[in-house]
Amino acid sequence: MLKQNKNLKPAALAAALALLTGSLAGCGGESISSSSSAETTSASSSESSSQSSEFKAGDQFYATEPLKLTMLYNDNPSYPISDNWIIWSEIAKKTNVTLDLVVVPLSDFEQKRSLLISSGEAPQLMPKTYAGSEVQFIPSGVILPVSDYVDKMPNYMQKVEQWNMKNDLKQIMQKDGKYYLLSGLHEKPNANYSYLVREDIVKELGMQDPNTYDDLYTLLKAMKTKYPDVYPLSDRYSGKNMLGIVASAFGVCAGWGKGDYKVFNWDTEKFEYAPTSQNYKDFLTYMNKLVKEGLLDPESFTQTDDQAIGKFSNGKSFVISTNTTHAQEMLKTMESTLGQGNFELTQIVPPIGPAGNYISGSRLENGIMINSSVAKDPRCDEIFHFVDWLWYSDEGQTFCKWGIENVTYKTVNGTKQLMDDVTFNGINPTGTKDLRKDFGFSNGTFTYGGSQELKYSLMNDREKAFQQAVFEKREVKNVDPPVLMDEDQREQANMIVTPLTDYVDQMTLEFILGTKSLEKDWDTFVSECKAKGCDDYINMCNQVYEETKDILNK
Amino acid sequence: MKLSKGYRIFQVFNLLFMLIIIAIMLYPFWYLVAQSFSSQKYIYMGEVSILPKGFNVQTYKAVMSERQFWIGYKNTLIYTALGTFINVAMTAMFAYPLSKKRLIGQKFWIKFAVFTMYFSGGLIPNYLLVNSLHMKNTIWAIVIPGAISTFNLMIMKNSFEAIPQELEEAASIDGMNTYGIFFKIIIPLSVPIIATMILFYAVGNWNSWFSAMLYLDEKKLQPVSLYLRGLIAGATQTSDSVTMSSDAQAQIASNIKSTTMVLTVLPIICVYPFLQKYFVSGIMIGAVKG
Repeated sequence: MLKQNKNLKPAALAAALALLTGSLAGCGGESISSSSSAETTSASSSESSSQSSEFKAGDQFYATEPLKLTMLYNDNPSYPISDNWIIWSEIAKKTNVTLDLVVVPLSDFEQKRSLLISSGEAPQLMPKTYAGSEVQFIPSGVILPVSDYVDKMPNYMQKVEQWNMKNDLKQIMQKDGKYYLLSGLHEKPNANYSYLVREDIVKELGMQDPNTYDDLYTLLKAMKTKYPDVYPLSDRYSGKNMLGIVASAFGVCAGWGKGDYKVFNWDTEKFEYAPTSQNYKDFLTYMNKLVKEGLLDPESFTQTDDQAIGKFSNGKSFVISTNTTHAQEMLKTMESTLGQGNFELTQIVPPIGPAGNYISGSRLENGIMINSSVAKDPRCDEIFHFVDWLWYSDEGQTFCKWGIENVTYKTVNGTKQLMDDVTFNGINPTGTKDLRKDFGFSNGTFTYGGSQELKYSLMNDREKAFQQAVFEKREVKNVDPPVLMDEDQREQANMIVTPLTDYVDQMTLEFILGTKSLEKDWDTFVSECKAKGCDDYINMCNQVYEETKDILNK
Repeated sequence: MKLSKGYRIFQVFNLLFMLIIIAIMLYPFWYLVAQSFSSQKYIYMGEVSILPKGFNVQTYKAVMSERQFWIGYKNTLIYTALGTFINVAMTAMFAYPLSKKRLIGQKFWIKFAVFTMYFSGGLIPNYLLVNSLHMKNTIWAIVIPGAISTFNLMIMKNSFEAIPQELEEAASIDGMNTYGIFFKIIIPLSVPIIATMILFYAVGNWNSWFSAMLYLDEKKLQPVSLYLRGLIAGATQTSDSVTMSSDAQAQIASNIKSTTMVLTVLPIICVYPFLQKYFVSGIMIGAVKG
């Protein structure tokens, strides 16, 4: 009896261990995963890696048997989806996978996604999910904690390792120490948004592109003196981009970057409430000065983007927020309004403020949610390998972005070039075929992130110049750590944050537009924020942060 | 006949007042038409108001060469035609018995119908239902779930009640059964209300995009309204974070938008004048009982 027991023990232990690893790795059937494969950086391009369990970084994925996957597809009206796109047949040819798409218009994407998930009809792959919007689906258990499965994704692991992204990924970590979204990974942050400036006016005034916010003020002032009847700066995006980047230069947050208006102080390792700080007051004072002196169009916060574009493209304003794509479009628009040669545009590097020579930016982009059903799928491994290959391997990323050699692009002296008749994003403007509209490549659903080299490869010269200038002149600020709240805490926090944020939003605009005075009403504002519970909220965040430090630093 | 002076003055002002109202109502439509014929340049300059500037039909050519636009158009025509037929047939066949006092439980059935005006299963249960009936990605998902609008049902019921009972009695003495009475007596007498119903339902079907968005996952099945919505709503959607890629926004030129709108509403506007004479009398019949 005793002897038998002794013999049994190790066996039971082994069985328990096997069970444990089995449940950790998740996939139903075989689970031979090799996390070490990520280190094999040199692309051993074995043509026939049909044995998918040995899938390594750099391998071409090819499903052992035809594989059909359901996928949510975000249909952007700028390049309406077509069954005839070559990308579909090419994916099938390269990977033996056919995608069964649920096509949802961009305008109603989020609503339909919620509906599909709540009704249990969610497709297996759900790309184009922005970080944060996956959180609502976690309690239902419909989406997979993908962090448990990344060992099946050698290319993904390789990029995380090479680009040192462990810290970045903490941004999407949840209280259980897992993350539920396969983010798009950027080697360098996406420097996309800043201001578009009428370079010809700058030159006319004998000035230079502003490097600091004081320079920007001086420039706007000079523009106003020369052209008294224009507002030199009239913004689009409801002013939210401007608020975001100006606030960031003052070491606070607002506009698009506001989050819940808390900032992390890396010296004290504590969160602080930004709107009640002196920095926020300085930021408001600066913005208010622009409005007061007629340098910033008060309509910036209410007008539609089309109105703002109308003003800028007709010489009724000289500075406007932009991203690289919109800068390109503005160039085209203005060639029709002002005429070629009558203007010159530069997208300037975001100016610096009191907070120093930093820009804020994240290296994560929207990503893929995976349906929990995939874990029970007998071909789970293959599904992950497919996702890994298509979205994260160098080859897959190049394919999604550039298409097919000698069809959409050609290689000249080692660099890729679009075929002469293929146009994209201002490259080959006379081309008759569009890389996105006619082929389906460089499609937002498949293309995000990638190495800086890959990103540069398909940029027009302006974009490239802008990006290079940004990384040359600015440093990227550390991203604030996340606060890992559980569901109850999050609900409790929302009770405070929602009304508080609304109040701060409103007051921010009132201070900037001057309907509230910064001298007289500031103290009331601060005490009102406190009355609405900003201190309680920050204390809560700090407490949660302290408690979950070990999860974060794991 | 001589009209009093006061009355003539009233008429002048009445006319003026009505003309102003017409102008207010028509201007938004006209503005779209003007924009659709203008070049993008002048739209951005804000110089297009009443007359198109930089007149061209390039935008029309561009929109009309989009394959998806015509696929959507075809779908809309089919959905509207079949959908409206089902709507009117179902509504009439439900409204007729409801209009009869001799129907057993008439009050109950009316309340039963009215109940649905105020309470519904909700979005997700509806979706599950349609899905489990295997109607998803078929035309039935669009034309069946909303087949009867309770509001229209009540209008129709009231109009049937207004038809003299004696007519039916006479027909029945001559040997007609209920179905005969319904198809040979009631329907021919109800042309105005049926025309009104066709108009109500057809406009609704033509414009509807929501159920198509929910139930149709394939682009080739989607109606033109969804295509239009994509152009307009997709383009005005703003991103809420700096990290959002520029891809999240669609940029559609405003002349393309207005051209698509004009082309989309044109057929339904053309139908309106022909049905409108019935429309007035039809509504009145429903309104005054007795």
